[in-house]
Amino acid sequence: MAEVTVRNIVKRYGSAQVIHGVNVDIADGEFVILVGPSGCGKSTLLRMIAGLEAISGGEISIGGRVVNDVLPKDRDIAMVFQNYALYPHKNVADNMGFSLKIKGRPKAEIDAKVKKAAEILDLGKLLDRFPKQLSGGQRQRVAMGRAIVRDPQVFLFDEPLSNLDAKLRVAMRVEIKELHQRLGTTIVYVTHDQIEAMTMADKIVVMRDGKVEQVGAPLDLYDNPGNVFVAGFIGSPAMNFIKGKIEAKNGRQVFVSDTGSVLPVEEGRAQSGQPVIYGIRPEHIDIAPDGLPATVSVLEPTGSETQIFARFGEDAIDAIVKDRLTVRPGEEVRLKIDPRRVHIFDRQSGARL
Amino acid sequence: MRANRPVFSILLWTLLSLLTLFPIYWLFVISVKPAVELFTTPSLLLETVYWKNYVKVLGDDTLRRYMFNSIVISSGNAVLVTVLAFMACYALSRFDLAGKENIFFWTITNRMAPAAVFLLPFFLLFTQVFVIGEWKLYDTRTGMILLYCTFNLPFAIWTLRPTIDAIPKELDEAATVDGATTWQVIREVIFPLARPGLAVTLILTWVFAWNEFLLAATLTSFNARTITTGLSEYVTTTGTEWGTMASIAIITLIPALLIFSIVQRHIVAGLTFGAVKE
Repeated sequence: MAEVTVRNIVKRYGSAQVIHGVNVDIADGEFVILVGPSGCGKSTLLRMIAGLEAISGGEISIGGRVVNDVLPKDRDIAMVFQNYALYPHKNVADNMGFSLKIKGRPKAEIDAKVKKAAEILDLGKLLDRFPKQLSGGQRQRVAMGRAIVRDPQVFLFDEPLSNLDAKLRVAMRVEIKELHQRLGTTIVYVTHDQIEAMTMADKIVVMRDGKVEQVGAPLDLYDNPGNVFVAGFIGSPAMNFIKGKIEAKNGRQVFVSDTGSVLPVEEGRAQSGQPVIYGIRPEHIDIAPDGLPATVSVLEPTGSETQIFARFGEDAIDAIVKDRLTVRPGEEVRLKIDPRRVHIFDRQSGARL
Repeated sequence: MRANRPVFSILLWTLLSLLTLFPIYWLFVISVKPAVELFTTPSLLLETVYWKNYVKVLGDDTLRRYMFNSIVISSGNAVLVTVLAFMACYALSRFDLAGKENIFFWTITNRMAPAAVFLLPFFLLFTQVFVIGEWKLYDTRTGMILLYCTFNLPFAIWTLRPTIDAIPKELDEAATVDGATTWQVIREVIFPLARPGLAVTLILTWVFAWNEFLLAATLTSFNARTITTGLSEYVTTTGTEWGTMASIAIITLIPALLIFSIVQRHIVAGLTFGAVKE
């Protein structure tokens, strides 16, 4: 186990800079997830930690040792790739034992460690099979087994679940989390799926365009997003955003959208007259008799809850309620917004106010 | 219709096999008949077998030497070319070399001119330039192996490159993170997966060198003379020894068949299946 420190990391491909001075501190045994949209630089950063990409500037250290010029094989890390990257000509046991074989470890030791890892991942009966004889989930478990056998200081996961179907993804999420709880090894995990990030991480690093937007515990990011991007990225379905400004009406501050809808806000969040972006999560909107009238556009019942796509005048809004609704598209519902759960962002900078 | 398909398929493949094997059978028939019989009563049937052509050929020291030269030159060339092409393709496929696509195209331009164009320059190089004291590159097996490399290497690089490109780079990276050096990656991961492509390259380059006549006839005289050029020695001013030539031709088929049967089992399609999610 080891801590990982990323200091002012820069990555350039020719004249194009893709990572702009990123700083991340990962504590010993922590499960950190780098999350962000495609092209945000999260995989590049992970590959730089692994040593598979050269570092253009800054410093990466693992366990207190600067590893900028250390070869991947000497970094004491193990990596699980998005597309598994299993050696197709080797069976499961040989795939898992490859790193130890390369190190010249005795066969008995290799067999014992492979067997132990296979037990952890329930791969015991598959050790003689070849990758082409395995299902997607089994292949991913073998890839994880290969990492476990090495007993590294840090595990690196590069979108390991993105090739699995939805059901298997949920199962593997639980397995990886259990694995972390069992082994306690530091994990750096890359995903574009914020649900994965929210459910698994001790700490989330949200990235965009090669920069870190916010670092924090999953629920901190959910409750207190630092800017519009993080607010929109974390949470599913995404937060509603309405552009407008804060105004004083009848001695109280309210939000007035550009199209004229009036919505409640907490007093003192912004100055009256200030242009802002109003943010409210769909799950923080309720149906109540004293709510604001909205016209239903589309209803999506999922059984456990109902998602309502509605309009406040010209402004679209998305709400999730536990009730089963009898309203039909075109009819009116009354949506109630709790002002304490409203997020207000500066319209220019997008920063939280 | 569906039931007839296997029958039709068997008939078609039988016919094609017979068409392919017929010239070889004809050659064999000629090789086991005395010269007189060949011209007096030409027949494709084997009534009696006359082994003396084979006895003559196998007992001839010179022909045995030619055969040995052919085996050494073809095999040496095929192995050398395949090893060099494998390393070149790995570098072209994996390393970020400046202008690597230009280098790749340039290699094949070396094969664009007909071999005859190179005859005179090679002859001069072999007889005038690559000379150390009494020793010349001319009429040496080493010279012929190197000569065929200049023709086979570009071809081999073009044949092998797609095979190496098709091996997912993530496998190199996984092995690197697992602790492998570049050589270990090549030996443990790339080589086993490139085996089908390497086998094809080995066979094609071996066959090229085995069959080549023009350059061998010009750049060898006796010591490194190959069996294909040896065959031509039986076309003389007093006549052509068809029976002897046919028996030599049949004998030259044997090493080729052996090479094919050894290498063929490595040509297995889809070896990388299951490596990565596609």
